[in-house]
This record gives sequence, C-alpha cells and structure tokens, in this order.
Amino acid sequence: MNDPTAFVAAFRLLGAGLAMLGAIGAGVGVGIAASGGVQAMGRNPDAAPIIQTNMILGMAFAEAVAIYALAVALIIIFAA
Amino acid sequence: MSEVTKKRRPVKRWIVLALIAAGIYCAYFGPSILKPVSPTVVLPAEPIWPGVWFTNTMLATIIADILLILLAIGAFRFSKSDNLVPKGMYNAFEAIVEYLWNSVEGTTGKWARRIIPLVGTIFLLVFMVNMVKMVPGFESIGYLEAPHKTGLAWGTVKLFSIGSLPVYAIDPAQEIVYVSHEGEEAGTESHAEESHELCEACQVIPFLRGSATDLNFPLALAVIAVLMTQVFGVWAVGPGYFSKFLPVGRLVNGGIFGIIDFAVGFLELILEFAKILSFSFRLFGNIFAGVLLLSIVGALLPVVIPPGLYLFEVFFGIIQAYVFFLLATMFISMALVHHGGEQSQEHH
Repeated sequence: MNDPTAFVAAFRLLGAGLAMLGAIGAGVGVGIAASGGVQAMGRNPDAAPIIQTNMILGMAFAEAVAIYALAVALIIIFAA
Repeated sequence: MSEVTKKRRPVKRWIVLALIAAGIYCAYFGPSILKPVSPTVVLPAEPIWPGVWFTNTMLATIIADILLILLAIGAFRFSKSDNLVPKGMYNAFEAIVEYLWNSVEGTTGKWARRIIPLVGTIFLLVFMVNMVKMVPGFESIGYLEAPHKTGLAWGTVKLFSIGSLPVYAIDPAQEIVYVSHEGEEAGTESHAEESHELCEACQVIPFLRGSATDLNFPLALAVIAVLMTQVFGVWAVGPGYFSKFLPVGRLVNGGIFGIIDFAVGFLELILEFAKILSFSFRLFGNIFAGVLLLSIVGALLPVVIPPGLYLFEVFFGIIQAYVFFLLATMFISMALVHHGGEQSQEHH
C-alpha cells in the first residue's frame, strides 16, 4: 500500500480485465448470429452459401466489439 | 496402396506417442533449459538486430511474400504445361482462386474482373502470413538482450557454438525479476549491445514474429482496402461519388431533410475511418490474442492442449483472411452502387 507504482500497476491490470467485459456482448452477438444462420440453413439448404456469407459478415461485425475491448485492454496494459 | 497405409499407420501412432512422451519429459522431468518459458508480451515489433530499423515482423512478411510468389510461379508454370488434371499445390491454388472468384462475382457481378486482383491478393497475403507464423522457430529464436522495462528475465546457458558464434538457451530455472532503474537504463543497454554474453538477465528478441501481431501490417492493408474502395467508387459512379459524403445538392433543395442528409453524409465520412480502424484491429486483435493464448497456455500446460490450439489458430488464420477479403469486397460493392441520396442507410 505504501508503493504508489505497485498500486497503479495493480489498478492497470484490473482496468484491463474490466475492459474485457465488452467481450460478453460480442459473444452473445456471435452466438445469436450463428444460431440464426444455422436455423436458416436448416430451413433452406439451397441458400446455404449466401446465408453463410452474410452470417460470417454479421459475426465479424459483432466480433469487432470484442476486438475493440481487447485493443483497449492492450493499450491499458502496454501503452498507457 | 492400401497395404502401405495399413503398414504405416501403427508407426505413425508410435511417433505421436513418442512425441507426447518427449513433451512430458521436457516439460516436467528433463533439465531445466527444456522447460517452457512463460513469454514476455511485447506489443511493438522489435528490430531484427540491435540498432537496425528493419523489424522482425517485416522479415516475416517478406518470407511470406517470397513463398507466395514461388507458389504463384509454380502454379503459373503448371497452368502453361500440358497437364490438364490439376494436382498437388496447383489444385489447392485453383480451388482457392475459384472460390474467391465465385464469391466476388456473386457480390459485384461484372466488376469482379477489376476487383479480384486487389481483394484476392489481400486474402492470399493474409492467409500466407497467418500460416507462416505457425512454423516453429517463430518468436522463439532470436538474440539476447537485457529487458528495457521492469519484468521477468532469465539467466542463460551456453549450448554450443557455430564457428565463433555462441548459441545460448534461456534457462527457466534462473528466473530473475528485472527492475529497471531509470538513470541506469541507457548504460545497461549499450553494455548489452557491445557484447550480448554479458547480460545476466536476458530476454529473447525473436528474429521472426507473425506479421499480423504488429499493428502496422493490418493497418497498411486496411488503408489500401479503404482507399481502393474510394477509387472503385469514383470509377463506377464518377465524381458524383463524393456527394455521398458531402450531399451539397440535397442541402440546397432538400429543405429540412437536406440538413439531416448533410449530417448523415458527415457520418459516412467518419464511417470510412471507422472501417480502417475495425479492419486493422480485427486482424491484429485476433492474431495477437491467438499468439498470446498459445504461448501462455503452452507454458502452463505444455503437453496436451497446444496441438488443439494450433489447429484452432490455423482455422482462425483462414477465417480472418476470409473475413478481411469478404469485408473489402462488400465495401467495394457498396461503393459501386450509385448513391441517389434518398436511402443513405448503410449498415455497418
């Protein structure tokens, strides 16, 4: 407690961990996209290629949020 | 033929078992230099030799480039030969290119011939870079240097020497918590540069590191992709393409909605920069997180889990290359459409 550098380092790690909470939403979003995509492919297997393309696109956008969280966490640990 | 495979299969099984046994021996029972080292995570790319501007990620990119060019030359020579049945590497190349072509043609139609050189190159380069980074020796062979910051460092053991060049291994048993002293730092650094043997607490600066673990590589690709999106937009629509960002015409005769459109156009402009950001951070984040996961789990549980994770990494390398390619294609195909000004919603 008497060492301010250690204190700051500890809170930096804590902050990085908290930043990664953003991955929760991305995980839910990717799961929903996959579930919808698989259901659609099950209903209409002929349209599978188009559905798959759009599903991967949507997953990429949902995943971007987690990537932003990761970038923030990395910046907190290494750059700030 | 089947007889051969029947004979070979048990041998392969023994090889796998022997490798697992060797892994267990190295990780838990063997001498301490064989034990896995928990990595020091470094975000920026390091130079391949002290004081050189050329970084290890650039070297890895060039190696991937050379491999890709060699494969392309091989495929070209095969396509010029009389062989009609594709086989081996050429077959794989043909499958990839055909898949890319179908995918691009499905979204952009007659523009596919102009677009595929760009997006196809991006796919092949990202794919090759992500595959090359999986080769053993990446991130593990390098020169020794005293750490710049406070952190873990290790003592070294001399293994053997090639000619006059001594080869060292870092010893996980001699773990040293290196505490940097701000005033002393410059002194230790130059000391380490003079003779590398003399750093008693060392870190390995690898000669090769996966290109996408450096933000510069995905950022360069993203800037190219987004700039080329504008180029294709102007090519297809003409100078009127820029009315997407600055809808002056709507502002003059659109009334109150014209002002809204103007604001939306400004948002579109911001979205172009957000594209660069999300492109680059997606690739960088995925690959960097993968490397981090591999090295940390590899240090904690060195025997069983890493092969599965490597498989996962191969999968992710392909997926990320495909996502980069797909998003670039999608953005370009969106830019190709004439923007009338009535529906300016582009979901992002």
